[in-house]
Amino acid sequence: MSNLFSGINARLRGATAKHADKDKDSKPPASPTTKDGFLASPISVKKSKSSSNLVVSTKLPPLPTSPSLSQTISLSATGEEILASYRLPKPYPLWLNANYAKHIVKGNFMTLSARPKVVEQGEWIAHQVVEHWRNLWNFIQVVYAKEQDGKSICNINTCPKMSAGPNHSYTWLNSRYEPIELPAHEYMQLMQRWISGKIDDQKLFPTDPQTVSYAPNPSIANTTLLTGGDEWIGKRSGFPKDFASICQTIFLQMFRVYAHLYWAHFVDPFYHLNLEKQLNSCFCHFILTATTLDMLKPSALEPMQPLIDLWAANGTFPPDSKAYEYANLKAGNRLLQLAGLA
Amino acid sequence: MIMDNFEFAPAPPQRCPEAYGPRANNNQKRCFQLAQAFFKDGVRRARERNERQLDLERRLEDPAVGPRREQLWKLGGMSEAKYLRFLRTKEELSNYIPIKTIGKGYFGEVKLVRKKQDGKVYALKRLAKTEMVSHEQLPRVRAERDALAESDSEWVVKLYTTFQDSTSLYLLMEYLPGGDLMALLIKYQIFSEDITRFYAAEMIMAIEAIHNLGFIHRDIKPDNILIDREGHVKLADFGLSKGFSKSHDHSYYRELLQKPAPPNNKPANRNSVNLDEIALTVSNRAQINEWRRSRRLMAYSAVGTPDYIAPELFTGQGYSFEIDWWSLGAIIYECLVGWPPFASDNSYDTYRKIVNWRQTFFFPDDVYLHPNAAHLIRSLICDASSRLGSRGGAAEIKAHPFFAGVDFNSLRRIEAPFRPHLESDEDTSCFPVDELPQGEGFSNGPTNTNGTNGHQATASNFQEEEVTPEMCLPFIGYTFKRFEKTFM
Repeated sequence: MSNLFSGINARLRGATAKHADKDKDSKPPASPTTKDGFLASPISVKKSKSSSNLVVSTKLPPLPTSPSLSQTISLSATGEEILASYRLPKPYPLWLNANYAKHIVKGNFMTLSARPKVVEQGEWIAHQVVEHWRNLWNFIQVVYAKEQDGKSICNINTCPKMSAGPNHSYTWLNSRYEPIELPAHEYMQLMQRWISGKIDDQKLFPTDPQTVSYAPNPSIANTTLLTGGDEWIGKRSGFPKDFASICQTIFLQMFRVYAHLYWAHFVDPFYHLNLEKQLNSCFCHFILTATTLDMLKPSALEPMQPLIDLWAANGTFPPDSKAYEYANLKAGNRLLQLAGLA
Repeated sequence: MIMDNFEFAPAPPQRCPEAYGPRANNNQKRCFQLAQAFFKDGVRRARERNERQLDLERRLEDPAVGPRREQLWKLGGMSEAKYLRFLRTKEELSNYIPIKTIGKGYFGEVKLVRKKQDGKVYALKRLAKTEMVSHEQLPRVRAERDALAESDSEWVVKLYTTFQDSTSLYLLMEYLPGGDLMALLIKYQIFSEDITRFYAAEMIMAIEAIHNLGFIHRDIKPDNILIDREGHVKLADFGLSKGFSKSHDHSYYRELLQKPAPPNNKPANRNSVNLDEIALTVSNRAQINEWRRSRRLMAYSAVGTPDYIAPELFTGQGYSFEIDWWSLGAIIYECLVGWPPFASDNSYDTYRKIVNWRQTFFFPDDVYLHPNAAHLIRSLICDASSRLGSRGGAAEIKAHPFFAGVDFNSLRRIEAPFRPHLESDEDTSCFPVDELPQGEGFSNGPTNTNGTNGHQATASNFQEEEVTPEMCLPFIGYTFKRFEKTFM
């Protein structure tokens, strides 16, 4: 991928130019973990054992967004030009055809993502991580499970690399922190093991009812909760300091799998198995949640940007959602037009 | 019709699910249903959560709340958080310490257990998956789960959560230490009219509560009328409940009737009582009790007792809510007379008598019933179309002279006639525990899922599911977790 296009994308979404990187999409958004014996970490942080230079600190920074910038640029570029900048294969994949981007549910997806006012942020993030992981796992099973003859739908021949279309492939870090390429099904296996390990870790995702907390209510005067400088998401509910950054990594990993499922398996098998609407709804809910909770940076969304544009344009994303903010309406409207729906 | 469009890759002309293997197709079904269930449950929970939030905000506005506002908000937040953690918790058998077996049926058993996390005691019902599948009981267990999950009534036993492992389904319910009406009948043989009125009135409330949810119980009998620690009634065992969902329908009684009379289906190891041969009189009550105990054993068979079931369920003419009122009539009869109206020494004869109730139903000569009581029973044990309750529902029955003076709305606040004497929270003295095999853990199943810490469990599942997909699929959507006010 040329820097030009990723640069445009980054600017369109208001990301800083720093994030536009070279051919392999191997951005370092979160800290790797080192304890697993085999392949150590899902995130390709090149030769970096610390997380010091990473974007995510213990306190979640506001993600770089700049809707006004995005809008100014949109004013000058046509939907066609923006779509062209995505360097999508032609003809466009079926899942970008609005007639196939439909859902099994109607109504506002945000009702499922929005944090209830009384619930502490860390608790809500933990809840969402687990729910989305359970959803995604069912789709992974379809392509991953081996038939009697030992073959799975996603295998080394169909998907020799963990990729999301021609422009994006993902690497895994081995125990020496070297990024290595893996067949998609192996990548998904390691990723699954890594995520399950995190979710099942009681220190990271506590389920003890005794340690719960709540979100302060600013309108109730006496509520004083700030304990000083050393605050982090989930601290009051007993979540560890690195909780938020680990959740960001989990969301990023889940995003990568969704992106692979769309780019490599939307038709084979999901369309054939009548699961494309289910996939759309779960992914749509996933994107809305991840962006609302600042768990995915706009720059990470790149491989799925056109679908996000489409869902913003056709009203699937509510206008007050972050996902809508990150979308390019012109590109989405152009896709609708091409599908004969605008 | 979707137009072909050269801008996008064309959709295949036809979907070809058959091009994929059985494994993929099974996973498809699971994925399909779980996605559906996820959004359905998610929306329901979000709606309920919003209602709780609105309720909390209303309470905060009350000026009388004053300085307690912060506390209210805090408790609200913490109970939501506890629920979220509960949803996140992987339920498995090893989370519970078994104490005693308190009930047994053909498809499983009920154990008193203590939950390790909160130290509280619960009743944990286990149903064997293989048995459920081979006897086509899935609609029944699904019905039970749905009825209990949707109910939030003080008249219905509370279901806290459901979970499953490779061999079993589990329902975690509140433990009602008072045993059941059957045990009371065994103990006291007959009830006075006042006591009968109390239980009948409470049963009406309970049946009304499930009817209001759209469920027909279909299997109301003294074993399913549970007694709580105060001595009040709660309805349980919804295996036969019929919701309006088609999947709960079952024609299994009709099939049973078409079979020839069984040569001998008397419970093994029991001296059977040939009720047809002995005259049922007051002096034979001891034998009736013997029969009752043997009927307890019958609960362990796949068929169960038909004694309280209305004729229209057998004859296949269709039925509705009023079948539960027939059962109520049969139980009132048993409370006052000492045995159910169609008692026989085998199920086949009971079926026959029920279907021919016009010829076979009678009050014994030597039992005195007040005319109001007899009239009530006759108004319930009768043709469905003229049965009390068939038009006006529970209100019709409550208005019967037998219940004159009963304040139905304050029933649960009055002192119950029999209050269990309990020594501890694990007291099982009201249950026939001596008659039940008491083993460590659950019998015929995995005693626990030992050695599987969560991480390994999910990781290995991912590589090879030890659960065959056929066993798994029908149980999708079975899992349920209730929001509990006691999270506070």
